[in-house]
Amino acid sequence: MRKMLFATLAVAVALAGQRALADSSGSARVGDIQYGNALDPTGWAPLLWPDPRGFSWLHAGMMRTPSGVLYPYPPQRNEGSPLYKDSDWVYWGFLQLGYLHLGGDTKAEFFRQYAGWKSGLALGLFALYADNPKTGQYLEFRGSRLSGDDQYYRLRAGQYGRYKIEAFYRDIPYAVTTNAYPLWNGVGSTNLTLPAPLVPGGSTSAQTAATEKTRPRQTIGLTRQREGLGFEGVLYRDWIGYVSVVNEKRTGTRPWGGPMFFNYVLPDNGGILETVRPIDFTTTDVDMGLRNVGAVWQFQLDYTGSFFRNHKDQLDFQSPFRLSNVVGVPQVANIYQGQFSLEPDNDYHNLRAELSRRLKWNGQLSLAVARGTMRQNDPLLPPVTCTGTGGIFISPSADYTFNCANWNTTAALSQRTANARIDTGLLDAKITLHPSAKLGWHAGLRWYREDNKTHYLAFNPLTGQYGYIAENGSQGSVVPGEIGIFDPRNPLFASYVTQVRAIPFGYTDTVFETGIDWRVSDNNSLNLTYSFDRDQPKYRERKLVNEQRIKLAWVDRALGKATLRFSYEFAYRNGGRYDFDPYAPFYSTSLPGFVTPPLGNVAFTTDAMRKYDLSDRIEHKLRAILIYPIGDTATVSGVVYGTRDNYAGHGEVGRQATRNYGFDLSWDWQPSPLTSVSANLGRDDSRLRFSNVADHEDITGVAGRDDPSLGGPLYPLANLWQGIDHERDYNAGLTLRHDFGRVRADLGYTYTYALGKLDYLFASPAALSTTQQPFVATVGNAFPDNHYHINTLQLGFDIAFSRTLGMRVFDIFETGSFADWHYLGLQDNRVIDHKIYTDLGPQPHYSANLIGVMLNVKL
Amino acid sequence: MITSRTNRHAVIVSATVCVAMAVGAALAAAAPFDDLRRQAPVHGNAAAATAKAATCAACHGAEGIAAAPTFPNLAGQAETYLYVQLRAFKDGARANAVMQPLAKALTDEDMRNLAAHFASLPGKAASRAMQASSRGSTLFHDGDAARGVPPCQGCHGVDGRGPHPDPASTAPQPAWSTFPVLAGQNTPYVLEQLKAYRDGTRTGTSNNRIMQGVARNLSEADMQAVADYVSTL
Repeated sequence: MRKMLFATLAVAVALAGQRALADSSGSARVGDIQYGNALDPTGWAPLLWPDPRGFSWLHAGMMRTPSGVLYPYPPQRNEGSPLYKDSDWVYWGFLQLGYLHLGGDTKAEFFRQYAGWKSGLALGLFALYADNPKTGQYLEFRGSRLSGDDQYYRLRAGQYGRYKIEAFYRDIPYAVTTNAYPLWNGVGSTNLTLPAPLVPGGSTSAQTAATEKTRPRQTIGLTRQREGLGFEGVLYRDWIGYVSVVNEKRTGTRPWGGPMFFNYVLPDNGGILETVRPIDFTTTDVDMGLRNVGAVWQFQLDYTGSFFRNHKDQLDFQSPFRLSNVVGVPQVANIYQGQFSLEPDNDYHNLRAELSRRLKWNGQLSLAVARGTMRQNDPLLPPVTCTGTGGIFISPSADYTFNCANWNTTAALSQRTANARIDTGLLDAKITLHPSAKLGWHAGLRWYREDNKTHYLAFNPLTGQYGYIAENGSQGSVVPGEIGIFDPRNPLFASYVTQVRAIPFGYTDTVFETGIDWRVSDNNSLNLTYSFDRDQPKYRERKLVNEQRIKLAWVDRALGKATLRFSYEFAYRNGGRYDFDPYAPFYSTSLPGFVTPPLGNVAFTTDAMRKYDLSDRIEHKLRAILIYPIGDTATVSGVVYGTRDNYAGHGEVGRQATRNYGFDLSWDWQPSPLTSVSANLGRDDSRLRFSNVADHEDITGVAGRDDPSLGGPLYPLANLWQGIDHERDYNAGLTLRHDFGRVRADLGYTYTYALGKLDYLFASPAALSTTQQPFVATVGNAFPDNHYHINTLQLGFDIAFSRTLGMRVFDIFETGSFADWHYLGLQDNRVIDHKIYTDLGPQPHYSANLIGVMLNVKL
Repeated sequence: MITSRTNRHAVIVSATVCVAMAVGAALAAAAPFDDLRRQAPVHGNAAAATAKAATCAACHGAEGIAAAPTFPNLAGQAETYLYVQLRAFKDGARANAVMQPLAKALTDEDMRNLAAHFASLPGKAASRAMQASSRGSTLFHDGDAARGVPPCQGCHGVDGRGPHPDPASTAPQPAWSTFPVLAGQNTPYVLEQLKAYRDGTRTGTSNNRIMQGVARNLSEADMQAVADYVSTL
C-alpha cells in the first residue's frame, strides 16, 4: 500500500515539472496547521516582533478589520542576503539555541502535561528561508527541539503559482499522570505480571498493599510521532493535483481497567484493578485529489484514506486476589488471569466529488457526492484465557460451572474474524444568490447515511451456547449463573438474558437549510436562517427525530465606530414514539428456546427513561458581541452568551436540563509598533441536571420485576434521585511587549480557575445503593468540591548585541493547586479490600520554574 | 518549592541581562531618515521668498520651469512636498551634491517660504497629447498587477496634479500633501529619480520607501514610458 502511495507521489511531482500558467494556490494539505511547543506556542515568536516602521509607509495609522478589531503590526521583515555573489536567490535565517534549567516541582502533571521540558540544551527555533524573486521559487525550513519527545521540523519548498512540497516531522508529548504507582511488572507490554512475593490468585489484600507500597513512581503518558509528505501543483492548465501522506505513531501507556467482577457487596469477593495498558498505534492518513478552478466552473475529486494499526492486540493481566462466591460454597474456580481485546486495525476510505458553478446575481451552485467505507477484519481472540473449570458448583442440579477448554480457543467463536463494516453516503447541494447588494439568499440540502453492515453472532459451536463469558469467567465464579451465556438446552441457562448479537447502529440524516441576508441600511444588517434536521437512527429508542431551528442575527454599526453583533437561536426537537427497549432482537430473549420465567424478565430499564440525544428538547441560545474601538490604537471587546436546554418532560428521567452562560472581555492597545498591551477576563458557568431511578433490588426475585413503569414495583418513586453538576471557570490574562531598541521585553501572565460541584438529591434512602444504607445519615447532598487553579508568569528579555547577534533570557514560573474527590484517601492506601489503584492524581499544590538563556543569531 | 539552586541561577541570569543591556546601549545611531507619515501640511509666505528664490532660478528658472530637463520643474509643485524635500536635503535624508549645501544655509522659515513661492507659480502646460493606450498611460492609470506595479494615479492624481483624497473615508489617511505633482515634469529628471528609487540611492524618507517598492518592479522601458507620459500631462 505504502509503495503504491509513494509511486503516485513521484508521478505527481514529475508532472509538476511541466510549464503551466494557472494558479496553484490552495490550503496546505499535509501536516498540522500549527507548529509550536510550550516554549513558543506560536512557533514564530522570535520573528514576530513588530516592525518599528509600522503598518505601512503610506500612513501612520492602524488598520482594523471591518468589525473594528485592530490588526497586529506586521512582523519585522528580514531583507535577506544574496545566496552568493550575483545570485538571484536571497536568503535569511535565524537560530535560537540555549540552555533551559528546571526547578521546583518539575514532575507536576499540569506543568508538563503537553510539554517535554528537560534541563539542558534546547533549540528554541531554527528558521531558514530562501527565495528567488525572479522565478518565484522558495524554500523554508523551521524547527524546534525541547527534548527528544517534544520537537518539530518542517520543510516547505515550491514555486509560486506552480507547485509546493511540504515535509514535516514532529514529536508531541502527553503526560496522562506523573503520579502513578503501577503494581505490575511489564508496564507498556501486553502482559502485566505480579511482582514477587505476590501470588496470582493467592494473595491477601494486606500482602498486596505491602507490595504496592514498594512500587516506584512512574509517569504514564504517550508521545505522538508524526511525519508527513505532501505535494500540490499545477498538472495542466487549470488542473491542480495534490497528494499527501501523514503517518502518526503513538507510543506509551495509559491507565486502564482490570475487572474481576465487582468488589463491594461482600468483602473479598471480586477484584477491581487499575492496570496500565500499552499504546502502540499507527495511523496513516492519505489525501489525494484533483481540482479544476475555472472562472465559471469548479470541480474537485478527492480521496481520503485513514489506516489505523494497533501493534498490541490484547492486554493480559494477573489479579493477586482469590475469588470467593456470594453463596458460600467451596470455590471450584480460581480465576486470576484477565484479558482485554484492544482496538482492532481498521481502514477508512472516502471518495468525494464536488462541482460548483457561478450563477447570475453573484451566485453559486455547489453539488457534492461522497461514498465512504470503514472496515475492520482483525482475527478475533478466544472468549477466555482461563484453564480448568470456571463458575460455581452448588449441587448436581445447580451446577453453574463451565469448562474453560470449550471457550479458550477460537473454535469457540462463530467466526474467526470481525468482518465489521460501515458504509457511508453523502449528497450535498447548496445554492447562494445575491440579487442585489443588499440582499442575499441561500439554501442547502444535505443527506448523509451510515449503513452498518456488522452482523456478529455470539455463538459457541463447541457447546451450542450463546453469549460471551463475562470478565474471563470471574463474574460467574462470584455469582451463580452470571456466566454470561444462554443455553436453550440447560434449564439453568435457558432464561438467562444476555446480548448475543452486535447491534448495527446506523442513521440517515437529512438537513434542509435556507436563509436570507438583508442589509437594512449602511449600518444595519439582518440574517435569518431556518433549518430542518430529520434524523432516522437505526436500532435506537426512536426511529425518527426532527429538529427545527431558527436563528436571527443582527449586526449594527450605528454606535459610533462600534460593531454590535446580536444573535438569538431557537430550536425544537421532537420525534416518533419512544421505545425504551429497542434491543430485544439482539438479546437471548429473541432466540428459539428462550424460556421466559414465570415472573417475567426483569425490565430492561424504566419506560420513563429518555436518552439525551433522542429526547424532546427545547433550546434557546443568545449571544451578543460588542467591538468598540477607542481612538486609533485601542479596542475593547466583550462577548456575553447563554444557552438553555430543556430535555425530558414531566414524569420522565434522564437528562433534564442544561444551562451555560458566560462572558469574555478583552482590551488591546497598540500605541505604537514598539508597544503592545492586551488583557482579557472571562467567566463560564455551566449546569447539568439529570435524574434517574434506582431499581428496587428486593423485587427482582418476585412478581412485578417485569414492570418498567416509573412508580411501579421495580422503579418506585421513592427510588428517584437527581444529580446537579455545576462547573464554573474563570480565566484572565495580561501580555505586555515593549521594544526599547537594543532590548525588547515581554511579560505574560495567565490565570485559570475551574470549580466543579456535584450535588445530589434523592427521594428517600431507598434510592441509594445497598452498600450505602449503613451510612445514610452521613451521605449528605453533595460530593466535595473539585478545583483546578493555575497561575503562570513569564518574563523575557531579548538583547541585541549587534545586527546579527543577540540573546534571550527568560523565566517561566508556574504555580497551581488541584483537588478531586475521586483521589481522596489514595495517598495513604492504594489497595482497599480487592481494589487496586494506580493513579494518585495531580499534585495538590505545586510550583515550578523554568529559566532559559538562549543565543539569537541572524544568519 | 523553588530550590535555592534555581535562585542562584536567576541571579546569574539577571547579571547577564544587565551586562547585555549595557553593551546594547553603547552601539551607534542610525542614518538620517524623515518619516513623513505624520507630516502636516505646511504654509509659508510666498512673497517673503523672492530674494532667496533668485538662487534657485539658476537651475529651476525664474518661473520655476527648469533651465535643463535634468532639473525638476518647481512651478505648481505641492507646497508641502517642496518643503519636505528642502528639509531632507538639509538634514541629509536626501543626497545631492548641489542641493545639500544650499539647503543647509536655509532656516525652516526660508524653506516654508520658498515652497510657498514655487507652489504659487503656474505649472507647465501640457506639451502634447499621448495615446491613452500607450504603455506609459496604462502604467499611470491602471498599473500592472501581474508585475506588482500599482497605478501612479492612486497617489499622484488621475491628472498627475496631485492626489484627490476621499474626505468621507474613515481609513487611516496618508500624508497626501507630501506627494508630488507629476504633470509636466521633465522626462530625464523623472527617469533619473525612478532609477534612484530602484537602485536604493534615494531612500531617506518614508515616501521614498513606497517608491522603492514600485520602481523595483518596473523595467527600464517602463520607467521611460511613465516618464514620457507624465511630461505630457
